[in-house]
Amino acid sequence: MDTNTMIALGVVAILILYLIVIFNKLVALKNRLQNAFAQIEVQLKRRYDLIPNLVETAKAYLSHERQTLEDVIRARNAASEGLNAAHADPSNPDAIKNLSSAEGNLMGAMGRLNVVMEAYPDLKANQNMMQLSEELTSTENKVAFSRQAFNDSVMEYNTYKQSFPQNFLAGAFGHGKDAQMLDIPDKEKIQEAPKVSF
Amino acid sequence: MNFFEAKAKAKRNTAVLVLLFVLAILILIVLTNILVLAVLVFDHSRAVAGAATVSYEQAFNTPNFLITSGVVLLFVLGGSLYKLSTLSSGGMVVAESLGGRLIPQNSKDPEHKKILNVVEEMAIASGTPVPVVYLLDDVTINAFAAGWSPNSAVIGVTQGTIHYLNREELQGVVAHEFSHIFNGDMRLNIRLISLLHGILLLGIMGEYLLRSMRYMRRSRSRDSGKAAGLLFVLGLGLMIIGYGGVFFGNWIKSIVSRQREYLADASAVQYTRNTMGIAGALKKIGGMGKGSLLESPAASEYSHAYFSEGVSSFLFSTHPPLKERIQRIEPNWDGEFILPEKLMDISESIKKKDIKRQVAETILTGSVMVGTVLEAIEKIGNASTEDMEHAQELLQQIPAALLDEARNPFGARAVAYSLLLHRDEGLRSIQWTHLQENSDVQVFSSARKIYPMVAGLERALRLPLFEVCFPALRSLSPKQYSVFRKNINSLILADKKIDLDEWVLYRLLKQQLDESFGLRKPAKESRGKTASINQELSLLCSLVCHLEHTQEGAAEKSFNLCVEKYELKGLSFITRDKVSIRQLDEAMGKLEATKPRIKEFLLKALVYCAAHDDQVSPRAQEFLRVVASCLGAPLPLMGGSAE
Repeated sequence: MDTNTMIALGVVAILILYLIVIFNKLVALKNRLQNAFAQIEVQLKRRYDLIPNLVETAKAYLSHERQTLEDVIRARNAASEGLNAAHADPSNPDAIKNLSSAEGNLMGAMGRLNVVMEAYPDLKANQNMMQLSEELTSTENKVAFSRQAFNDSVMEYNTYKQSFPQNFLAGAFGHGKDAQMLDIPDKEKIQEAPKVSF
Repeated sequence: MNFFEAKAKAKRNTAVLVLLFVLAILILIVLTNILVLAVLVFDHSRAVAGAATVSYEQAFNTPNFLITSGVVLLFVLGGSLYKLSTLSSGGMVVAESLGGRLIPQNSKDPEHKKILNVVEEMAIASGTPVPVVYLLDDVTINAFAAGWSPNSAVIGVTQGTIHYLNREELQGVVAHEFSHIFNGDMRLNIRLISLLHGILLLGIMGEYLLRSMRYMRRSRSRDSGKAAGLLFVLGLGLMIIGYGGVFFGNWIKSIVSRQREYLADASAVQYTRNTMGIAGALKKIGGMGKGSLLESPAASEYSHAYFSEGVSSFLFSTHPPLKERIQRIEPNWDGEFILPEKLMDISESIKKKDIKRQVAETILTGSVMVGTVLEAIEKIGNASTEDMEHAQELLQQIPAALLDEARNPFGARAVAYSLLLHRDEGLRSIQWTHLQENSDVQVFSSARKIYPMVAGLERALRLPLFEVCFPALRSLSPKQYSVFRKNINSLILADKKIDLDEWVLYRLLKQQLDESFGLRKPAKESRGKTASINQELSLLCSLVCHLEHTQEGAAEKSFNLCVEKYELKGLSFITRDKVSIRQLDEAMGKLEATKPRIKEFLLKALVYCAAHDDQVSPRAQEFLRVVASCLGAPLPLMGGSAE
């Protein structure tokens, strides 16, 4: 074997190694993205589980605020059902849309409950209540962070996939489509101009 | 700040710097070669009288060059491999050497709950596994991440961090640490430190050469005088190259470290999408003056892993200046630090809270570090709130005066001695005389005082009381501990034999404390097959059955039940008179070295032997807890035991 063949073989070997690296990186990025998506579901479910406990504890202090509490429970049940439906068929856009609107209602109801609770210092000082609201705060953060982590990993995946030379190879390696970022559930609401009346 | 851009920049800078580091090592090799060349030429010019100009070709040839480079590389790589092996221990070891305490996952303390939650949140945001969290009893604001890989990583925070920072700021700090985990900064740093150690070795060799000259000068022959001169040049040169290399290496390393801090700050903003949190934490550190310096003596070894400067230094600071860091996060910062609101003395409250909690915890888990081995088993190693309450109830039955004694190093030794004193009066007096002669005066007098209380204690409280002593015993000096251990041995052997009650205490002591004092190495996992421990398993199962049933027949029956249930082949029942403590001790040593899977299986079988009739005798329970603890899988107290 002369030097030229050896050099040629070396170059080929390096090229193959490079291809393997690209392939593996694509797989790793895609898996990270899928894991991030699964996390969102886990955290949403956890939140639905926590809310009844919170309401149960608050009940003793908030006997005059039945309406608010019932609203919360109703919204929570609707959202929980929505999640189940979306889980059964994630590709159904209607199910996702329902879940989004149920989520929006639940956020509203929880917001009202928080305002009501401000008026009951006893309730806020309750040991159990403090624990529950720490748990709920944490879970709500986790929901937000898991969405954000998902979007970050989508960005990372897409950027890697669209860069040179991966853009020529991604299709052949089974990574044809770009991943989609999550939308905010109340996108339409945010885009509406706020109405101000005097 | 635009964190994506900031991250890319920091990563680019690190790459350049690491390249520079490699280049520095190459320069080192070249310099050493020049030195050796100079010495050779010098030597030659002396040997051949008059020939001042020696051909450089003679000295500068390939073999010389290769040998010198090889030796230098061997030194640097060998030294760094050695250092690498000592540094690459898991994150838990680092956290504990810094004086951290593991926060149990089921902690009821609201502050602990908060930090655990924040860590989980950030694990989700960064997409890494959730690490365990350690707490440092330091009133300053600081945190660290340690561990070779994301899977073995741990996070530590100081008490001050939890106390002074609000939730947002805590998120910022924890997110910063997660960046270190995610980007493998600990690994990078450990590698750089190891290489530096290798370079240092060259310098040390030079120093050694210089030292050895002193002895050569004594023999004043001409030849050795010449050799000494050469050695002097070689030694001095090596020293300059080695120590100079370390100096520049350290300098580069600290610049790398500072780049990684910027990267971590940028990632913290990415994970939290909130500049207020991390910037607020940094401003509070600034507001506290020297707010982040740590007390722990081991602090400097891991200086790179902290949130903020943990050790003060001038040229080699591992962290960029606070002001610079804040300015990068908030470009239009007004330069005002924040003075933390709750500037009270929290060290007192730490102490108070700790003692209560620590005691309940030690009782429950038997050791501070909960073994990860058996997390899967439902009950074992997984203390629930109920167990915690049960343990606290149990503790309340121990006289408060006794508990107080058990928590100080003198009292703890006295309690341990008292637990081993004999019921029999004659033997006890021999033991007392031994203690009087061999133990510390203060310990002896307090043992005298304590003994009546210990003797009046219920059986079931003996082991819990013994376990309460452990934290205090850990704080003994190595010398004190070795005296203590000798005394324990002679107390046990006062009656020339070891009974099971004594063995239980002895084994626990040996397993838990001898390791912390370095008298014993942790067992290495080796055995992977159930068949290889048949004999030991038979012994332990039989013993548990004997402890449960006084009659031989009943014991054998429950032994056979267990064999049937777990389909154990090759086990044979051992009769009561054939069970010896010596065999038991040997068996334990062997079982400690088995694979986690086997340990789990073994414990299940033992628990079944004891508890299949829904009743556990106190002696069997005591025995089981000690076996479980020795196998690294703390067993909670079983409620509702038959008294």
